[in-house]
Amino acid sequence: MSAQIPISTFKPYRGEKARLVRAYDYLILVLALFLFIGSFHLHFALTVGDWDFWVDWKDRQWWPLVTPLIGITFPAAVQAVLWDKFRLPMGATLCVAALLLGTWVARVFAYHYWNFFPINMVLPATMVPGALVLDTLLMLTNSLTITSIFGGAAFALLFYPTNWPIFGMFHQPVEVANSQLTIADLFGFQYIRTGMPEYLRIIERGTLRTYGQYATPLSAFCSALLCSLMYPLWWHIGKWFASTRYLAKI
Amino acid sequence: MATTTEHVSLSTETPKSLPWYLIDLPKYLKGFGLLTVIYVSLRLYQGAFAVAHGLDSSEPAFEQYWMRLFYIELAVIAAVASGIWGYLWTTRDRNLDQLEPKEEIRRYFTLTMWISIYTFAVYWAGSYFAEQDNSWHQVAIRDTPFTANHIIEFYFNFPLYVILGGCAWLYARTRLPLYAKGISLPLTLAVFGPFMILVSVGFNEWGHTFWFREEFFAAPIHWGFVIGVWFALGVGGILLQGVTRLIELLDKIEDAD
Repeated sequence: MSAQIPISTFKPYRGEKARLVRAYDYLILVLALFLFIGSFHLHFALTVGDWDFWVDWKDRQWWPLVTPLIGITFPAAVQAVLWDKFRLPMGATLCVAALLLGTWVARVFAYHYWNFFPINMVLPATMVPGALVLDTLLMLTNSLTITSIFGGAAFALLFYPTNWPIFGMFHQPVEVANSQLTIADLFGFQYIRTGMPEYLRIIERGTLRTYGQYATPLSAFCSALLCSLMYPLWWHIGKWFASTRYLAKI
Repeated sequence: MATTTEHVSLSTETPKSLPWYLIDLPKYLKGFGLLTVIYVSLRLYQGAFAVAHGLDSSEPAFEQYWMRLFYIELAVIAAVASGIWGYLWTTRDRNLDQLEPKEEIRRYFTLTMWISIYTFAVYWAGSYFAEQDNSWHQVAIRDTPFTANHIIEFYFNFPLYVILGGCAWLYARTRLPLYAKGISLPLTLAVFGPFMILVSVGFNEWGHTFWFREEFFAAPIHWGFVIGVWFALGVGGILLQGVTRLIELLDKIEDAD
């Protein structure tokens, strides 16, 4: 048994019915805000994790690969419902804005005020520009295929350049004890963490770093390819979870 | 938020300032207020006593400040679960076939409020205190599964949102005809999936015992939590079920100014 929306009954409500529907909208807005902060943030923190927590983990190789790849999941799943069923072109932006709100609250009160990490050391990355493009592209094309290929790629490719104004300054070189470090590295060595030792800090590994300045664009384009695949996968996951079935038993 | 058809006339007469479909709004707002006070108080308690008495579980002060809190939490969780779930079940509506459209609409609003309260608890457990878990375990080497943040996050926040999710499920099952006739798949997914996050605590602690005592959030021992939270996407299906039914019900009631 599935719920069927009776299309013939759609008409503008007036008077009390219009107020009732508007009140229901507000209830849903509050519900959705906390739902997406709570769920998307947990998903993101336990997969992207340290790459988003710490400034010295934001490397040229893994950070631009992992963050968009995981970051496109919930936006795709929520777009599958909000665009497909309600024609609301805001699923990706809603998810990413909710995530950003949740991470900022945690970074300020859980990292800075409880354990005294400098706020500059725990700034969250932003995916808002990519999400805006993803929503706009879906709205303009109304096509899962085009949004997957071009929207998914744009979501990944925009990540590094749109974050550069926030994090570029921490890549400035400094000389400490006859060694050249970045300011981000210096933060890491000054504020000792259990996740800080080199065996846990899996950044800039492998031979890709020998490509020098090309490491970042290579990672970004690899992420673009993966995001183009991840987007339709999560669109269908979102559709599956948004089932309207009633079961006889569980 | 529990009302049976026997109480319909009473409940529709009571509010003078609020429309009939928002009769439970004050209780909803009080629920938000109460939860905010509880979570902020727990955070302030951590700020006051975690560094002072929460770093070494072998110290007597740890038993006094943290394990005592843990035992209190267990008692509160048991009382709240049995109290609210018991109330929702014993006051269930036994005349759902006679439910008026207006009363059913009001109950859909109340169900939405229950789910909203549930997602508010999911926010504190899945967002704030979850990231705080990383923050704490980056500065404190764990020597027990009952650390100063775990005692709040795993043994209070997780069970509390499970209880509130269970309340939403029970409310729908006992007071709304469609949910009583069949078991809503998306509502069940949205409640029982995140419940598995609580179960994943066992895997998490097992992994930390075997592999490492430091913190590394993206490690596979945490992916049980990740899969559990995907099921929260079932809320999209609940919304579709609710909107579909509300459209039908609104067609059955008269227009009013």
